[in-house]
Amino acid sequence: MPQKVSGSFRDPSGFVFRHDGTLYRQVNKHYQKEYDLLMSSGLYDQLTRSGTMIPHSEVELTLAPQPELAYKVIRPEPILFISYPYEWCFNQLKDAAILTLAIGRRALQFDMNLKDASAYNIQFHQGSPVFIDTLSFEAYEEGMPWVAYKQFCQHFLAPLALMAKTDINLNQLLKIYIDGIPLDLTSELLPASTKLNFGLLTHIHMHARSQKKYADQEVSQQDVENKVKLNKRTLLTLFDSLLSTVRALEVRTIKTEWADYYRDNNYTESSFESKRELVCGFVGQVSPKTVWDLGANTGEFSRVASDMSITTVAFDIDPGAVQQNYDQIKRKKEEFMLPLVMDLTNPSPDLGWRNAERDSMKVRGPVDLVMALALVHHLAISNNVPLTSLAEYFAELCEHLIIEFIPKEDSQVKRLLASRLDIFPDYTLEGFKQAFENAFTLVDEKPVEGSARTLFLMKRK
Amino acid sequence: MHQSILFAILQSKMDYLDPGSGSMIIQMVIAAVLGLGVVIRFFWKNIKALFIGNKVEDQSDDPTAIGDVATIKDDAIQSQKE
Repeated sequence: MPQKVSGSFRDPSGFVFRHDGTLYRQVNKHYQKEYDLLMSSGLYDQLTRSGTMIPHSEVELTLAPQPELAYKVIRPEPILFISYPYEWCFNQLKDAAILTLAIGRRALQFDMNLKDASAYNIQFHQGSPVFIDTLSFEAYEEGMPWVAYKQFCQHFLAPLALMAKTDINLNQLLKIYIDGIPLDLTSELLPASTKLNFGLLTHIHMHARSQKKYADQEVSQQDVENKVKLNKRTLLTLFDSLLSTVRALEVRTIKTEWADYYRDNNYTESSFESKRELVCGFVGQVSPKTVWDLGANTGEFSRVASDMSITTVAFDIDPGAVQQNYDQIKRKKEEFMLPLVMDLTNPSPDLGWRNAERDSMKVRGPVDLVMALALVHHLAISNNVPLTSLAEYFAELCEHLIIEFIPKEDSQVKRLLASRLDIFPDYTLEGFKQAFENAFTLVDEKPVEGSARTLFLMKRK
Repeated sequence: MHQSILFAILQSKMDYLDPGSGSMIIQMVIAAVLGLGVVIRFFWKNIKALFIGNKVEDQSDDPTAIGDVATIKDDAIQSQKE
């Protein structure tokens, strides 16, 4: 039974649906001309050949859930893990923005243009951003302005500017504003010095004022009279202006509290290596298709899995660590790792219309294997999460679990307990094992050489 | 003429998005300013020559040239490495 994907309903050109576990897109007759133009003009070929857009194959029309509307049914190449702009680090969002503009520019060469510029049209695939909305192209009409300009500014430019100029975590506002951050709010939150930046002055501040001025107003003849007619060349300069504004925004990949982790704790080089070997052995034992590394930091141990060509998602609460990881992925052209920002004490929820447009983290699982290395003490001690609750949570996320227990004697845990009352009598190796025995079978237990830590391999009961 | 363009935008059957009238107007304003900037840059050497009186060489910078998408992506990645 084909099932329409609940987040796919706004565009009359078509919608996404699932059938027997595979994702398809119904292309409606409404979009026939544009689809044919996309395919015949050469734009589709160029974009898919350069790896910037996801390719698809055409399949039997009989699969169409709404045959009375359908022109074609296509099957896009699947994305292995769906992620959202509020889970991306700065550089991921920046690359997604640049890709969107580059595609818009390229489309103009084929007399087409993007009719939307949503950040949800981009996904990460084999290490880099890729455009997934095949039905996003419209025929270019001379003189028409870019209708997706507002959406681009709200989905991309606003959060990028806020992350670069105000606070690194402000892309989280995208969780609240599902169609991008409103420009008047952005204008308020940005420091006044951004008004000296031509791109931000025009595309954010003046844009916000213009929106306010013409809100609910019918645009009169006089307002339009003196305005320039937009041709291809001026549209291109608009794209270029947005491109240079985005490119100029930077968040230096600084070493944050977590990024310094490996240098500052009481790991010796050899205990680090011995832990890596143990993890490697456990991963080999499980042979998973997909791995989630929770609290992955810069991805040191995630790479044990991704270097084995296993699809690995590396979650961490610190955007600086995620960006360091992402920079490395780009530098080394790694294809099996996706780093994401995630606060495990408040993970991504179900969002949007009917809470069904953007999936929560949990819904995007479960996976074969979760790695929870040097994580438990942050949840159990810093966040007062009972060990049994932790075990139940992990059981929802995975079939196999590689988990590290760090006892109170370790300097990391001592640091956490330094400024607070120790109300954790059950936080011991025995207490830990007992807490997990309900939900998991303890398959293997190995001490990490040169430390007081223990590594476990567990299988959900 | 311009008004009919705006109406055409707002009634276009392809655009399910609300483009926002304020956004359309500011876009046209910005495009005008940018367009002026392009023209000035294009003829900068000529403009300079008016004051300095040097010989004007051929303008090799074509403002309408569209870069390769792959190049743009590489550019972007490159500029971030720096």
